[in-house]
Amino acid sequence: MSDSTSHVADTQESLEAALKGEVLRMYQEVADNPESEFHFFHGREAAEMFGYSPEWLDRAPPGAVASFAGVGNPHERSDVQPGETVLDLGSGAGLDSIIASWQAGPTGAVMGVDLNPSMCLKAQAHAAASGTTMECHEGRMEEIPLPDEAVDVVISNGVINLSFQKRKVIQEIFRILKPGGRISFTDIVSAKQLSQAIVNDPKLWAS
Amino acid sequence: MFRLLEETGFKRVRSAVVSGFRFRNESTRDAAESYGVKAVLFTARKPEAN
Repeated sequence: MSDSTSHVADTQESLEAALKGEVLRMYQEVADNPESEFHFFHGREAAEMFGYSPEWLDRAPPGAVASFAGVGNPHERSDVQPGETVLDLGSGAGLDSIIASWQAGPTGAVMGVDLNPSMCLKAQAHAAASGTTMECHEGRMEEIPLPDEAVDVVISNGVINLSFQKRKVIQEIFRILKPGGRISFTDIVSAKQLSQAIVNDPKLWAS
Repeated sequence: MFRLLEETGFKRVRSAVVSGFRFRNESTRDAAESYGVKAVLFTARKPEAN
């Protein structure tokens, strides 16, 4: 590797590390202080904007609803059936996992993966409080800690856009899906190339 | 993202703009609009085994 290539790789690596730190910090803040204001909508207000049914939001634990930080509603098209195995990629405080577990029922299974181990604990506690169970694994979406062909459905809500390695994330999702499996996820996209200033600023990227 | 899904091997890739999505802060909304930022719901299917 030439000096310039090595320098670019080092810069990319340090940006990714900084982004990871910023993502962890921001979403921990949403979970710990959901009453605070952020530059994005969150909580029940956001969930209602995206068409989550009031019945779901009334039934789910208040902590899971208050810390919701998605950008859409993957359940609109996920069509989870009883008995299916579901992965919620970037499960956060667990609202989407809980909804999926209601749909998958007692013969199905829901797993979460999150960068933040304390969020995994919160999500599992929220699931238990809602009368259901989910396993949550700490891990990165670029290296999903699941075996090949493990799940029927992958849902994700405003998480994949946080990765610098989207191709790797999509390849990982493909790997862990069973043949015939499906995905339903929301992502933030931009019509124009983001400026280098934005790309280089983990706070803005994580926004 | 659409092309990325297809290149990876997914089939029946579909997308739909999330109509309710917007940022809370006006300055962030303005910046997002200038870049054409939006939230999109993607669905796709992994092919069945041969």
